[in-house]
Amino acid sequence: MTLSLGRRLKIRSMVHMAAEPIPNFWPMRTFIHHNPLHGLEELPFPQAVARGEALFHGRGFLRRADYQRWLADGRIDRDSLEASIHSALGEYPTLQSIAGGALVHALLTRRRDPVICQRKVARLDDVAAALAGKTPHAAPDAVNVEALADHLRGEFPPERPFYEALDALYGTRAGETLDELLIKTCLDFFDEGQSAWQMPGREKGLFAAWSRLARRNLRLFLRGLHVQKIVAQADSPEGVIAFILDELGIPEEAWPDLIVRELTHMRGWAGFIRWRSTASHYHWARAYPADLVDFLAIRLVLALALVREHALRWRMPANRTELEALLTECPAECYLRHELFTGAVLPAQAEHVEDVVARGRPDEVATLLSRYIPARRNAESQRQARALDDLAEHAGMPEVFHQLDREHLGRVLKELAAFEQREGMVWLEAMEAGYRRSLLARLRRGSPAPRAKRPFAQLLFCIDVRSERIRRQLETIGDYQTYGIAGFFGVPVSFIALGKGSEDHLCPVVVTPKNLVLEVSTGAEKLDTDLYSSAEHLLHDLKHSVLSPYFTVEAIGLLFGFDLVGKTIAPRAYNRWRHKIENDKPSTRLLVDKLTREQADSVVRALQRVIIVEAIHKEFGIEREAITDSIIRELREAAMENHAGQTQFARDFALSETAESRFIRTLQADYRINRSYAQMQLERLGRIGFSLEEQTYFVAQALRSIGLTEGFSRFVILTGHGSHSHNNPYESALDCGACGGSHGLVSARVLAHMANKPAVRRRIRQQGIHIPDDAWFLPAFHNTTSDQIQLHDLDLLPASHLVYLERLRNGLQAAKRRSAAERVPTLLPEGSPALDPIGAARIAERNTVDWAQVRPEWGLARNAGFIIGRRHLTEASDLEGRAFLHSYDYRLDPRGRLLESILTGPLVVAQWINMEHYFSAVDNERYGSGSKVYHNVACRLGVITGNLSDLRTGLPSQTVLQDGWPYHDPVRLLTLIEAPFEHARAAIEGVAKVRSLVVNGWILVMILDPATDRVYRFVEGEWREEALPDAGHDATDESAAEGAPS
Amino acid sequence: MSILVLLLAVFFLPLFPASVVFNRLAAASDHLAARVALFVIWPQIGVVLILWGDLAVGPGVIAAWAVLSAILYAFRMLTVREVGRWSAMLASSAWPLAWLYALQAPTAPSLVAFTLALTAAPVLILVVRAALASRLEAAYTGLHGGLARDLPRLSGLIVVTTLAAMALPLFPGFFALLAVLSGATLWVAIGILLTWLLWSWAGARLLEGTVFGPRSGPVAPDLSAFAAWWAALLIGLIVAAGLVWTGGAL
Repeated sequence: MTLSLGRRLKIRSMVHMAAEPIPNFWPMRTFIHHNPLHGLEELPFPQAVARGEALFHGRGFLRRADYQRWLADGRIDRDSLEASIHSALGEYPTLQSIAGGALVHALLTRRRDPVICQRKVARLDDVAAALAGKTPHAAPDAVNVEALADHLRGEFPPERPFYEALDALYGTRAGETLDELLIKTCLDFFDEGQSAWQMPGREKGLFAAWSRLARRNLRLFLRGLHVQKIVAQADSPEGVIAFILDELGIPEEAWPDLIVRELTHMRGWAGFIRWRSTASHYHWARAYPADLVDFLAIRLVLALALVREHALRWRMPANRTELEALLTECPAECYLRHELFTGAVLPAQAEHVEDVVARGRPDEVATLLSRYIPARRNAESQRQARALDDLAEHAGMPEVFHQLDREHLGRVLKELAAFEQREGMVWLEAMEAGYRRSLLARLRRGSPAPRAKRPFAQLLFCIDVRSERIRRQLETIGDYQTYGIAGFFGVPVSFIALGKGSEDHLCPVVVTPKNLVLEVSTGAEKLDTDLYSSAEHLLHDLKHSVLSPYFTVEAIGLLFGFDLVGKTIAPRAYNRWRHKIENDKPSTRLLVDKLTREQADSVVRALQRVIIVEAIHKEFGIEREAITDSIIRELREAAMENHAGQTQFARDFALSETAESRFIRTLQADYRINRSYAQMQLERLGRIGFSLEEQTYFVAQALRSIGLTEGFSRFVILTGHGSHSHNNPYESALDCGACGGSHGLVSARVLAHMANKPAVRRRIRQQGIHIPDDAWFLPAFHNTTSDQIQLHDLDLLPASHLVYLERLRNGLQAAKRRSAAERVPTLLPEGSPALDPIGAARIAERNTVDWAQVRPEWGLARNAGFIIGRRHLTEASDLEGRAFLHSYDYRLDPRGRLLESILTGPLVVAQWINMEHYFSAVDNERYGSGSKVYHNVACRLGVITGNLSDLRTGLPSQTVLQDGWPYHDPVRLLTLIEAPFEHARAAIEGVAKVRSLVVNGWILVMILDPATDRVYRFVEGEWREEALPDAGHDATDESAAEGAPS
Repeated sequence: MSILVLLLAVFFLPLFPASVVFNRLAAASDHLAARVALFVIWPQIGVVLILWGDLAVGPGVIAAWAVLSAILYAFRMLTVREVGRWSAMLASSAWPLAWLYALQAPTAPSLVAFTLALTAAPVLILVVRAALASRLEAAYTGLHGGLARDLPRLSGLIVVTTLAAMALPLFPGFFALLAVLSGATLWVAIGILLTWLLWSWAGARLLEGTVFGPRSGPVAPDLSAFAAWWAALLIGLIVAAGLVWTGGAL
């Protein structure tokens, strides 16, 4: 079967469209927080949640019991809930007519399960009869078999995968088997070096490599899965897809929806493949291409093979036509089968139903059905009546439902069902209102007073919620001024670390960096591997080869035993000892400045000369002292085809013409000293660094965006952040989201390099930003697990600043301990003894090296707010590490461009983080990744649960749950912008993506207008003024003035 | 005469297909005490008959028949979802091992103890079945999963009881299996081990369909602390009896 190009493209576009709702999944080495419903963000939040439920089977809100527990604990404000109920009730007139407020209140706060029970066969009359204490009228001969058949046809629409019909009617586990087979294929193909033996033929692409192997796969053959017959039907994955869907009798109009269902079945792998197929810079994607068409084709091939095998062995339908015939011929048996195998069967009848369908005698089936349907009607109506009575009892109106006539009861049930559908939003809005009120009450309004003198140090932190605590502590203990800025400091960098061959993008994933920064060694340390490093490499190789582990365990297993005991019993002491014997990371510099053409050429030449020296040594055993620079230069020219005739090297070392030309060819081919490669190197070098204009732009932009344009202190510390923990595949989830899930130190070093450059300072002075000569930008690293702030590039620090270093370190150390004292108790079990700051800091440090610790820190859990404004607004408040803080001074941004850029980058990243936490908390199994305890690293790119599962997306339970209950408060991000109303509104309107997020309710926005001291909130499509609590007003600037050093 | 006695014993210490009688009887009554009585007394009648009869009439045939019966019912346990029937299948799979043990000519008390040791787990499962049925309308696996979160005490009881059904160490079934294995021929031992493996597999499926996984089904009350303590005491007594009596007797 060969498809025309048009038809192939049509199928590709179907797959492409079907994948839209599936969120991308990035390799976990650089964990990217993302909204699991990112593909549905064009829908209003409640609708997207409902759609997500249909697609991914995940809950969009917490269970009622969780909300009730929080209500009892005071984490949900009762007044807010009442207000939320009151606001929702307006849409339900019938409920209002029977004092529905009390009913709904009782429903939410007293009843754990939904009051509306699923009714498949019971009618309203039956419920009314049950409420009246009667048994529903049952007529055994009233079973409508045709209606049953129609009902079943509705259960199996054409867009439903066919094997699901078999599972539902025969209790087979074809779907599970299919997932397992496909996961095994994915684990084989997408492996990134974890396996000792790699899948052959991967360079040909996913489908081609798999189909070649599958044709000879004995295990599939023995299972009766004859995939080769299916694969042979077409010469392309698109052709295979078309063949299979035709074979199964799926009408073409149902293909798009069916493809959506198939892909969302394993959204982890599908999301990864989706991202991978578009990641042109990703090495593994370039080497081993794969896309969702391949993935779908393999899934469908396996599915058809399973269906055929089941049909052949168990005489089940093999396509939709046969299924239709079965439903028409045996509707009663199919109905009972469906009840039994989907778990809907009446528990008391389950055993009997199982026996009868196993025997399959039509007379027995008919007899059972005639008893089953009335029993079901009775059970459903009794259950519904009991639930209503229970609710009425809780509401203190025991007779309320008994007094209703049939129609009235019907309307009440309908409205109760509708209310329960939107109940999650009622709870959510109540929680959000509580947080909103508490946040507003903590704000300090009014204008800040000017400082008496410049602060001792200014620290720029990432907007990350974890910075809030350490910033507050620093400001409390000393003369420090802090700012919040996106952790990449506004400089998108593509970074090649020392010894690495691939680029990491250090910026939000919505940004593509143009400039490359290279890390190079200063040469201060010898890079040669010592004995310890060699032994470490040897052990690593032994562990990861195929056969050696069998004898390695006996031979040197004890060595690992020491490691195991040390890491487990005394992790801090053991790691200190390991650090002593391990090599320190060599000191490095970053190539930040753009190279001129001459400089780039010189770099290439220098590199080539080093390689030629190595080549001579390797090929002829000649040492460097035996050859001169001119010989090397001449050889280089010969390899670059700029020199003809015999070389000095050949003459000096008596090489024949053949040997000489062979060596030149070796240099060209093996050592890549040739024109084309040199040209490529030059092009690459052209990407390195930033021009002076770019550097000036980035420095000015960063400073202006946070409102730091004057009053520079002696130290301006650029604090990138990251996390250190052991044995934690989710370590990068704790790193900087704004740096693409990497550490923020490199970005800090890059901006510091730029800002310390005299030429840059001269240029930005012309823009009105005067950085005094004694102001030094110093990069630092904030380890969020321990709250340690480590200063970097101190060797570049001017001598005049060295005398202040001890004071600076003292301050940072004190802030670290105070922050740990605030944070660590939340990580400990309830009832743990109180900790002093030193003890807390010690525990936090232990968490960085304790490989048994499943929760080294809470990360960004409990994030709820995003504040864009001056620090003065929040300086005196304890925001409990729940708010992203971006410094912004609207007075420096008359056209709103800086605000737009904050909304475009940092806010969108924060929204992804917020939604990732939201959905991981409300349904950790579906949207989160479940417990870390059962995780295994798969392919070095993600984790799976147990030995075989979909790639787990989202956050583990240890990040968002505590003792099985949500620790993270799942609320939507409340964004507060301090700026004149029109100014902020225009900025929001100006960024289409943000506007859409706001209008659709993915982000909640408030604007605090400092000119009028009014707060506006976007609600139900319009801006409304919000009442302000008095507490925060005019907390005056006396405190700031008092706190200022004299 | 001996053959007739043994054929009669086949009904009470059931071997397939005579075990159908026991399974029918077990399914006939829904009353816990009646079922427990049936499970305890029925095989002991078989033990008495075996002791009265003469196994020397065809030890090879009996051994093969018993092993096949044990394996057959262990297989059946994989597909049965009603916990009461599961328990009967477990008994039907376990009791044939008493024939194998009897072929090793143990003392009468040892054979009685051995049979009781194999009966303990099915009886405990019957208790679990009653607890489930009273709360969830039926004790049927796969219908109401994820009990661990909402009914932790009952889930604990289910887990411990299932471990007993899998004949894990400390439970009497484990020592009984060790005893019969120690005197078994190679092929009989393989058959017993296969049976044991199938019990573990079936037990894991039972747990999967009740305790683990996402919670489904109606709200139900957990075991009271009092009932949980009683259950713990009962299990403790069975374990102790197994260690003292069965262990000592073997």
